Amino acid sequence: MPAPIRVDAQVASLSQEGTASWRLWLRVPAWPGFEPGQFVMLSPGPRGAAPRSDPLLPRPMAVYRERRANGESEIEILFKRHGRGTALLAACAPGDRVGVVGPLGRGFGQTSERALLVAGGTGIASVYELAARQEGRAPGTARVLLGARTGADLMGVSDFEALGVALEIATEDGSLGRRGLVTDLLEAELARDASAHVYACGPTAMMRRCAEIAASRGAPCSASLENPMACGFGVCLGCAAPLRAGGFALVCRDGPVFDAAAIAWEGMP
Amino acid sequence: MSDAEDVDLRVELAGIPLRNPVLTASGTFGYGTEFAPFLDLRRLGGFVAKSLTLEPRRGNPPPRIAEAPSGMLNAISLENVGVDAFVREKLPALPEGVVVVASLFETEIDRYAEVAKRLSGVARVSGLELNASCPHVKSGGIEFGQNPAVLATLVRAVRRATTLPLLVKLSPNVTDIGEMARVCEAEGADGLSLINSVQALEIDVERRRPVLSNGLGGLSGPAIRPIALRMVWQARRAVKLPICGMGGIASAEDAVKFLLCGATAVQVGTQNYLDPAAAAGVVDGIRAYCARHGFSRVVDLVGALDMRRP
Repeated sequence: MPAPIRVDAQVASLSQEGTASWRLWLRVPAWPGFEPGQFVMLSPGPRGAAPRSDPLLPRPMAVYRERRANGESEIEILFKRHGRGTALLAACAPGDRVGVVGPLGRGFGQTSERALLVAGGTGIASVYELAARQEGRAPGTARVLLGARTGADLMGVSDFEALGVALEIATEDGSLGRRGLVTDLLEAELARDASAHVYACGPTAMMRRCAEIAASRGAPCSASLENPMACGFGVCLGCAAPLRAGGFALVCRDGPVFDAAAIAWEGMP
Repeated sequence: MSDAEDVDLRVELAGIPLRNPVLTASGTFGYGTEFAPFLDLRRLGGFVAKSLTLEPRRGNPPPRIAEAPSGMLNAISLENVGVDAFVREKLPALPEGVVVVASLFETEIDRYAEVAKRLSGVARVSGLELNASCPHVKSGGIEFGQNPAVLATLVRAVRRATTLPLLVKLSPNVTDIGEMARVCEAEGADGLSLINSVQALEIDVERRRPVLSNGLGGLSGPAIRPIALRMVWQARRAVKLPICGMGGIASAEDAVKFLLCGATAVQVGTQNYLDPAAAAGVVDGIRAYCARHGFSRVVDLVGALDMRRP
């Protein structure tokens, strides 16, 4: 896994997608690359004599994908504007400074022969690169299930379509794809064929349901958790996730990707 | 204006010689090695490791943290690897030349003394910081640092258990910080660290419950900085002991304010989460401040606040 860096990145571009989703490209000097499922801590605003204090904490964001542009490394972040931290990011302009610490955490690791990717809400940002690399290595072995409340909330659909992976969508209001939950799609998939490894990222309730469905079919399931954290590198101890075996794991250091069967889901925040 | 390179940043804190007055605060800097990718630890005056107990501790269930205006609350409950694993595994992993202050914490006085004893013969430990903000089981859960008599008994016991330089980290959750400072001085402490986090409550209004699983937590970050400055200034007037000042330091200018109030050194805390190289930036900034204002030695800033002129 690449060693993390702490660096001043620059906003290369920022654009809105749908109603509340944003795409942010950051120019990151000396970016060491990343593994699917890894994340960065983002802190917009200047350093120096008067650093931003409110909101205080940086925000963890999955690395969506990376590219080289004009000889420089760039990473893309997909996010929704739903609080004060993401509002700061959404207010950035090209050229603005954003503090980056990352890449952090342990990602999905080597994927299985057959991969079933299930994502909801902003969790979609965590699984795109996984789908891209699986499709590149072994075309036709990844299936992607995406869910959202309504079609306009879905992020990145065109990117998944461009990969050529098998893609199914569920929305709660039926405005795009099938009406229902993404976990309904997972149930149907595993009923048909339970030999795939499930990779899940999204709201806790969604991931917990994925873990239950996978366990009932005997399919292995990895889940990428999104607990709040202050640092991202194992120091604040804020992102503790309860383990079925007792005790806690740190989402930032031991995860964010865990064997879903190891998590005591009823104790998740 | 003097040359920044020529500024003498060396200080001595409670008998511990430091290359500069900037340390990092216990609980915000892990065991040091977590920061190795981001900064050379030898650039710092030193660091205070996460508080150690006799046995390893697991900590509270989530949620353990909550954001607050210009700050954050935490209730981790001092999760740590225990004193023996610290000595055996964490200390040897640090590069030579890093000044390590070990923080200790317990729920009973004899256990505090035992942790201090176990740290005392250890070559890499330069000093101890006694975390007195823990609820005392035998005093019905009140913090050791909130009752002068209990604090006196604690400092006396730990003082007897070690010859290492001993800093006592004071709780801000008291009426008279000067009284607590005097107790520490009388019982033989070598210095004071202040302030610890401020007891606080944040509420999830939709669910009508506290945000943290523990209910109450400790507020840290820039929100508490003016309170910390006031308490350092009051403690400075109460005792002669050297003071390590902390509370919401985010920049070199913030650190200088603590030095002006009479702190010999400072600790950077919550800011380490936002920027893992923050403390090194504070060192550089203090050097630049001294050069800009014609101070050839950082010690000349200590206590240089003129309270008569607003």
